Amino acid sequence: MENANDTPLVTLKNLHKRYGKGALVLENIDIEVSGTEFIGLIGPSGCGKSTLLKLIAGLTPITSGELEINGRSPAAARDRMSFIFQDATLLPWLTVHKNIQTTMRLHGVDKRECALVADKMAAVVGLDKVKNFYPRQLSGGMQMRVSIARALSVSPQILLLDEPFGALDEMTRNHLNEELLKIRSMEDWTAFFVTHSVAEAVFLSTQIIILTANPGKIFKKIPVPFPYPRTAETRESAEFQSLVGEVSHHLRSVDR
Amino acid sequence: MKKHLVWILPSITGSVLIGIWYFIIVIGGQPDYVLPSPWQILQACVNERHLLIPAAYRTGFAAIVGFVTAVTGGSIIALILASSKWVKMSFYPWVLVMQMTPLIVIVPIFVLWFGEGLPSITAITFGICFFPVVANTTMGLVSTDKNLLDLFKMSNASFTQEFFLLRAPYALPYFLTGVKIAGTLAPIGAITGDFLAGTASTYAGLGYLVQNYRSQIMTAELFAVAFVGCLIGFVFVAAVNFIHWYLLHNWHESSLKTDH
Repeated sequence: MENANDTPLVTLKNLHKRYGKGALVLENIDIEVSGTEFIGLIGPSGCGKSTLLKLIAGLTPITSGELEINGRSPAAARDRMSFIFQDATLLPWLTVHKNIQTTMRLHGVDKRECALVADKMAAVVGLDKVKNFYPRQLSGGMQMRVSIARALSVSPQILLLDEPFGALDEMTRNHLNEELLKIRSMEDWTAFFVTHSVAEAVFLSTQIIILTANPGKIFKKIPVPFPYPRTAETRESAEFQSLVGEVSHHLRSVDR
Repeated sequence: MKKHLVWILPSITGSVLIGIWYFIIVIGGQPDYVLPSPWQILQACVNERHLLIPAAYRTGFAAIVGFVTAVTGGSIIALILASSKWVKMSFYPWVLVMQMTPLIVIVPIFVLWFGEGLPSITAITFGICFFPVVANTTMGLVSTDKNLLDLFKMSNASFTQEFFLLRAPYALPYFLTGVKIAGTLAPIGAITGDFLAGTASTYAGLGYLVQNYRSQIMTAELFAVAFVGCLIGFVFVAAVNFIHWYLLHNWHESSLKTDH
């Protein structure tokens, strides 16, 4: 990792965002993320969680304040970021193998290299047997794996995830959570993970940021102390349950 | 079991309908020129083949020319309309106006401009076929998934990459739906075209034959023309459906449930 742990990787300072002449979506956001953190963003609907991700990705401009990634503007730092959306956003006319390559191809990676990396990524997310399938032949969970493989194929430094498992059943979601952490233990990226599920946020994150709604403001930052690797057993521990309870409590108070 | 029924049931209903047809002739005792029997129609098909076959060929050719023109022209119009929302807002109503204008009124103007025969017939076929292509393709081009567009933007995709790798394939099923509708309309357009703008010396297609037989009250022959026109329509629809299936069967929902 090129940046040492003491220099922030992502800095949001006094950030405000409104769309056009509309109401303020995000107000006075201060976040500093260094090293390889996993940030869980949680809050009621309309708190601007997704907007926050889009700002970091440079997909929508900030209204005022500062937003820097590695000392660069978000748009300039795009090549080191990957976005995973709530739906798998696959190209239905391409096979799994080709879908994984989409981002790499756009980044100008050469054809043979693309195929090799796609093979490797397919193995990592457990898709080797369905490489030549089309997206419609896969379940929602499998489609999401393709999306993850595609995002990780370009070795991003930052991964932005917008409720990626929101549409999946709980079993599949838990399973993918565990796998995501397993992959992360090998790859080391910083994550911003938007979710509605408190348990998911606690399970994945090193830090949870709770936002209030209308406009979105930071209500509380809660560090998650559990060491990695976290497994299915982590979820069953009393400490885990009590932290989930605490975060849920905060969430209820902002949702009022 | 089910596969056979697809053939057996229509055969039964067809036979029953022909039976009813004969029954009406026997009961009603209409003269042949009001209601010829299916057998007389079949005879007309055979006896008039020296006229029907060349006419069918001409009509088929005009349908293909008109269809290709409509699909090409319609796609170009759609590309222009989809290029910006301002262009779409400015011009789409006028495309609608063109579609709403009764074609039959325009035909004399076409004939005046393009002369009788194939050029006018093509123009008429185009007029009947182009709109579904324009409407569907435009819809397809502007409804690209927003997240996919963001994904491409994240990868700093160029305009051409975004168009050819995302927007165009995304619009393909919409485009093909338009093409399918145009395909069913094209033979109708061609027959209408040479009915209104075909002459013996310029373009004697099926529509011209209709004019001819009508003036001589050759009813069985008129039915024969209808039968041949129906055949052309079937071939056209089958061809267009095959293209649709061929391009989409791997990945698109609309092709999953159809039997081929």
